[in-house]
Amino acid sequence: MISAFQADDPGSIPGRRISKNKMSEQEQSEIREVSKKQKLTTWYNKNYKLLLIIPIFLFLFSLAYLGYSFYTTGDFITKDITLTGGTSVTLFSEQEINTKEISDFLSGKINDLSVRELSDFRTGRQKAVIIETISEPNQVRDLLEEFLKYELTSENSSIESTGSSLGKSFYNQLRIAILISFILMAIIVFILFRNFIPSFAVVISAFADITMTLAFVDLIGMKISSAGITAILMLIGYSVDSDIMLTTRLLKRQGETNKNLLSAFKTGITMTLTSIIAITLALFIIQSFSNILEQIFSILIIGLTFDILNTWITNVSILKWYLESKHHD
Amino acid sequence: MTKLNWKIWLLIFCILGSLLAIFPLDFSKGVEIVSVEEFSGAFEQGLRPGQIITAIDSQSTPSFEDYKKIINEKFPNINQEKPDITLNIKTKDKDYKIITKEPLKIKLSEVFETSENNKSKTIEIKIDSMQENSIAYETGLRVNNTLVSINNKKLTSIEDYKNLIDSLFPQEDKIKLSITTKSGDFILFTNKAPEISVKDIQKTRIKTGLDLSGGARALVDAEEKELSASELNDLIAVTNERLNVYGLKDVQIRPVRDLSGKNYMLIEIAGSTPKELESLIAQQGKFEAKIGNNTAFQGGEKDITYVARTGEQSGIYSCSAQSGSEICSFRFSISLSEQAAKKHADITCQLELNTENPQYLEKKLDLYLDEKLVDSLYIGKDLKCSETTQIAISGSGSGTTRQEAYDNAVKEMKQLQTVLISGSLPFKLKIEKLDTISPLLGKEFINTIFIAGIAAILAVGLVVLLRYRKLKLSLAVLLTSLSEVLIILGISALFNRNLDLPAIAGIIAAIGTGVDSQIIILDESQLTAISLKERIKRALYIILGTYVTTLFALLPLLWAGAGLLKGFAITTIIGISVGVFITRPAFSEIVKLILKE
Repeated sequence: MISAFQADDPGSIPGRRISKNKMSEQEQSEIREVSKKQKLTTWYNKNYKLLLIIPIFLFLFSLAYLGYSFYTTGDFITKDITLTGGTSVTLFSEQEINTKEISDFLSGKINDLSVRELSDFRTGRQKAVIIETISEPNQVRDLLEEFLKYELTSENSSIESTGSSLGKSFYNQLRIAILISFILMAIIVFILFRNFIPSFAVVISAFADITMTLAFVDLIGMKISSAGITAILMLIGYSVDSDIMLTTRLLKRQGETNKNLLSAFKTGITMTLTSIIAITLALFIIQSFSNILEQIFSILIIGLTFDILNTWITNVSILKWYLESKHHD
Repeated sequence: MTKLNWKIWLLIFCILGSLLAIFPLDFSKGVEIVSVEEFSGAFEQGLRPGQIITAIDSQSTPSFEDYKKIINEKFPNINQEKPDITLNIKTKDKDYKIITKEPLKIKLSEVFETSENNKSKTIEIKIDSMQENSIAYETGLRVNNTLVSINNKKLTSIEDYKNLIDSLFPQEDKIKLSITTKSGDFILFTNKAPEISVKDIQKTRIKTGLDLSGGARALVDAEEKELSASELNDLIAVTNERLNVYGLKDVQIRPVRDLSGKNYMLIEIAGSTPKELESLIAQQGKFEAKIGNNTAFQGGEKDITYVARTGEQSGIYSCSAQSGSEICSFRFSISLSEQAAKKHADITCQLELNTENPQYLEKKLDLYLDEKLVDSLYIGKDLKCSETTQIAISGSGSGTTRQEAYDNAVKEMKQLQTVLISGSLPFKLKIEKLDTISPLLGKEFINTIFIAGIAAILAVGLVVLLRYRKLKLSLAVLLTSLSEVLIILGISALFNRNLDLPAIAGIIAAIGTGVDSQIIILDESQLTAISLKERIKRALYIILGTYVTTLFALLPLLWAGAGLLKGFAITTIIGISVGVFITRPAFSEIVKLILKE
């Protein structure tokens, strides 16, 4: 195509030509980008083992923290009444109930009291007040009726109670359930890859996810319920998802490790971020509407965040180390 | 147009199937019968739970509100005190003022005077007889008083009196009530509201769990003892009987077993719960057998040492046809303690023979469960004064076919045995968990979850759109996730599973892993080094790997914690299975179609 007015840089015209020795901004930045990428790659290739220090430090810290809390409180986590036994009363009232008055009234009379309120996520109006204690349901009900001066019925309140021996047995079983789940998961990962180190990397990453999440959850003072433990189970599934994808890409695909790694990273980070964004949104809408969902969502968000670290540093570094040492042989 | 792959057809088929399972095809309107009082008029006529009332009297397709209104209008004064009626009675000698709720218990007679042309003429209305100790008697009316007028209405005949009384005390006539259901028309003649409870037909077949719709849930085991399977069955039978006697509807009692092998009784009651629930569950119930006002024996091992429920001492021993219906008879034996046998003998010694049925005694043995009469047994004359510790209890069940008669007899026998063992279970009960959940927030809560779910899926679509910059791919992810939700709900509806909070968490988990897998498919299919088919095959390998790990990770949860978190495990397993076998293969086909363009 020839026209009277040619553009400055008629790249479409074939043949040799000379022009001013000037690169466009774009070309320059592309080159910078490439060199930056190269620098990053070199830096990464040199230091990826060093990067392991971050998760190792966090992992050891979490283990130490959990060990410390086991030593002082007799358990790794702080359990809520669904696991220790106790009573939870949810009051629904037309009139706003003053949570401070109620907690002043109850404190000293019943043990381990916590009072909080639920509010509508749009209007902010109080919806319900939740009272949790390890005391017996009848005692709590009588006291509340004395305070509220009306009878608690199944219309104006929900009362949930768990006996302490049942709570204990639930906790034991759920711990066993997690243990069995974890072992089954590990066995399947080993069968899937039939290769010790890559499989081990997947399993240790999942383990680090759980450890760090538990330590973090306990640090921020969250009391774990039986539903919270299912969240830990879900976490095993989510964590292994991205790890298996990563390992498959790096082990079963020809080509340069770093290139495969980058494509796996793109996929994996999309997976995890999508989950985190979707769950955060759901958590925001549901908020404190349901203890069960609130806790499941919170634990998942914390766990998935640690999963980014453990998949892309812990798992990747071990795997890369393994692949490079194999290459050397 | 390209021919659609069978995997896409499978997905379309599953989506349609789920829609059918969730939304009932018959668009019938009306109310559904939830429960029918056994042996009530409505029950005898053939009304049963689950039937759908499409018309009541002239009102077609009634709503729950319509039904309540019609019944209330037709059968007013239920539980209402009858009003006081004042009668100003004038007799020949004196005036009386009587305030009463019921017609006077008097019988009148007319005194005639025969005239010349043989025509009789009533001249007086006299009290012929009356019930002593009645209000009329106490006021001073006596036999042979002559009534002149009541409330200033002159009485000239007995007919006059009857009409007046009828107008003052309206009789509770039996009212005709016609109910049309899909299985036929029923016409009831009744003076009270039919003993059925109804509810609006649900728009969907999705059932929500107690933690969303409200109700009570109790987990019960024995104190300081492990329940064996047979003990648990007895406990469940006794509890069922008692909650029935108490009149609780919509009760489900079933055994659950947890990871450590411990047995529990799980009671679930939908709707609002009585305050006494706790004592109702925690106690075994009080059984008493009375003759007249005397207690012959009570529940508990002190009086009843043994109730035969299996073997030769218990069962159906004969069936026969009698005037068109089949009757089967059962018999089982119980053992009384010597003390109870003596007491029984003492009481029966004072009884005469039944005048109509001389092989029995005049009074019956009345069985009370929690102070409510549940059954009455004739006492054989040979038991009179006899201090026997072995007693045979017999009865029968009838039906139109022999099988029905047999089943009814077995049912009757089991019921009697259950009543007899009430209070004699060799353990104390302990409520391990009792949740009474208000239905107040349920609906709003479901809406909130729905909004949260939609928002989360839209967020996923947005992230996919930002990453791949292809609207079609983003839409494909959205549709796949939505169809996974739909199919999970469809399967839940199909198998009548209750959706509780853990189950909803399970749906979220399944959708989450589902989206992860879709992203893997998208990324694998974008790599251009190998053929598209090969790439997708690889993606499915990764997906299958993660599927199996998640599946196995969930298995222990089916049993842990007395199965209270089972809903989570099952929904997640359904969800990820649907994902791996139905939606994701279809998704990868859709992706192929989009990328080929």
